[in-house]
Amino acid sequence: MSEISVEITGLKKSFGSLDVLKGLDVTVNRGDVVCIIGPSGSGKSTLLRCVNLLEEPNDGKIVVNGVELTDQDVDIDLARTKIGMVFQSFNLFSHLNVLANLTVAQRKVLKRGEKEAQEIALRNLERVGLLEKANSMPAQLSGGQQQRVAIARALSMDPDVMLFDEPTSALDPELVGDVLGVMRQLADEGMTMLVVTHEMQFAREVADKVIFMDGGYIVEEGPAAEVIGNPQEPRTQEFLARVLDPTHHGPSDPV
Amino acid sequence: MALSKRKRAEYFRYSQYTLLVVAALVIAFFADWEQIRTAFFNFKTMGDMFPNVITIALKNTLIYTALGFAFGLALGLVLALMKLSSIAPYRWIATIYIEFFRGIPALLVFIGLAFGVPLAFQLQFDIYSTVMLALGIVGAAYMAETIRAGIQAVPKGQVEAARSLGMSQGRAMITIVIPQAFRIILPPLTNELILLTKDSSLIYIIGLARDQYELTKFGRETLSRSPSLTPILVVGLCYLIITLPLGYLSRYLERRSGGKKVSVL
Repeated sequence: MSEISVEITGLKKSFGSLDVLKGLDVTVNRGDVVCIIGPSGSGKSTLLRCVNLLEEPNDGKIVVNGVELTDQDVDIDLARTKIGMVFQSFNLFSHLNVLANLTVAQRKVLKRGEKEAQEIALRNLERVGLLEKANSMPAQLSGGQQQRVAIARALSMDPDVMLFDEPTSALDPELVGDVLGVMRQLADEGMTMLVVTHEMQFAREVADKVIFMDGGYIVEEGPAAEVIGNPQEPRTQEFLARVLDPTHHGPSDPV
Repeated sequence: MALSKRKRAEYFRYSQYTLLVVAALVIAFFADWEQIRTAFFNFKTMGDMFPNVITIALKNTLIYTALGFAFGLALGLVLALMKLSSIAPYRWIATIYIEFFRGIPALLVFIGLAFGVPLAFQLQFDIYSTVMLALGIVGAAYMAETIRAGIQAVPKGQVEAARSLGMSQGRAMITIVIPQAFRIILPPLTNELILLTKDSSLIYIIGLARDQYELTKFGRETLSRSPSLTPILVVGLCYLIITLPLGYLSRYLERRSGGKKVSVL
């Protein structure tokens, strides 16, 4: 079964005179994990933020689960309830405790009852292994715990697809594993995931497809074993060499 | 022989203490203590002022201030949102309002509402409405800038997270941004409440019935019957009963928020 979950065609995005995305086509099949890798400034976060229209594309078409988000008449708020997003800086609502973080959108957007919302919230907290933190405030949690709560918050909306924007980049190294573990578990459960990451190990082991981006283009894409294990494009080779073996390279050429 | 820098500083400190002691002695010897006592501490006048200074005047000051603050906060929030609007004319209106009412004396607003509006529009507000409007109109101009700063101090990621969960722009503002903004601006807002408490004294220009007196008017009335500074001292202390705890509260809230400063301008 290879039903299409996310289909992006001809996506272009610029900020002022700076062209960030220069015409991309991406297809994500339902149940697949797609990892987007590439140097900073390559446009990979912008690509991800276009998928739920946090960034408005200048051109191109984005279809998620059969709904064309780039259609002017689409109810974008409704569409976003089906697209979970996890941010680099967690973005937990700092004035609400963990449980309220997980229930507020269920209650206000999906109009679920309090009891139902709490049950769903607690179930998802358990999935990320933080049931005992339900009554904590975000500031009392470690970065890794905050990110797992953020994942549980997105899951509580019962999304069809999850977007991860460098979910481990702001974490201390020893906390990265907890978050990646939760993400791997999600992938095993069949969640459709689009992940911008620098964790090559994770991409290699979990991704069904890896996309390498540079300069606003997709340079290379394919199965993880090929793109990461045996890259064909010189730019991919150069990037991976730096990421996988950072101590044996001189400073990069100025761009 | 020139004195060392440290010695000079030491002598300078001594001379400051000496000046203080001399001034205190001069006042102690030459002041008319009896007159000072009767002027500031006329116990009969003090006795006459109680309990009405508390049960009427202090109570009314609190009521007037609360009404003005509530209205000012609501109007200030609307102005702050207008100031952040993407529609330029809303921003202009809010800016003109804020600049106008911050720039004119609050007394002028009181006179305008109490005497100008009734004459111009044949509208007669009761005392509570007049006070609420006058204090609120002025307070809103100041609070709008504070609230705007608070809203802008909420990290952008909070809105993005809310929007990504399907909240509309307005829903994200109400549920996520404004509650956080108010936590941030609680200390400056408390200071605003102190200023309004003091500005409530401007009601004294309006004709008031006895049971509508607030502290300043009450003090002034008492003064006309018993000419001494005692009534002024008593109502002054009553203001401090309100403003000192609020000042401590404001500083406490500021410390608790980890000294996260919000610039208002």
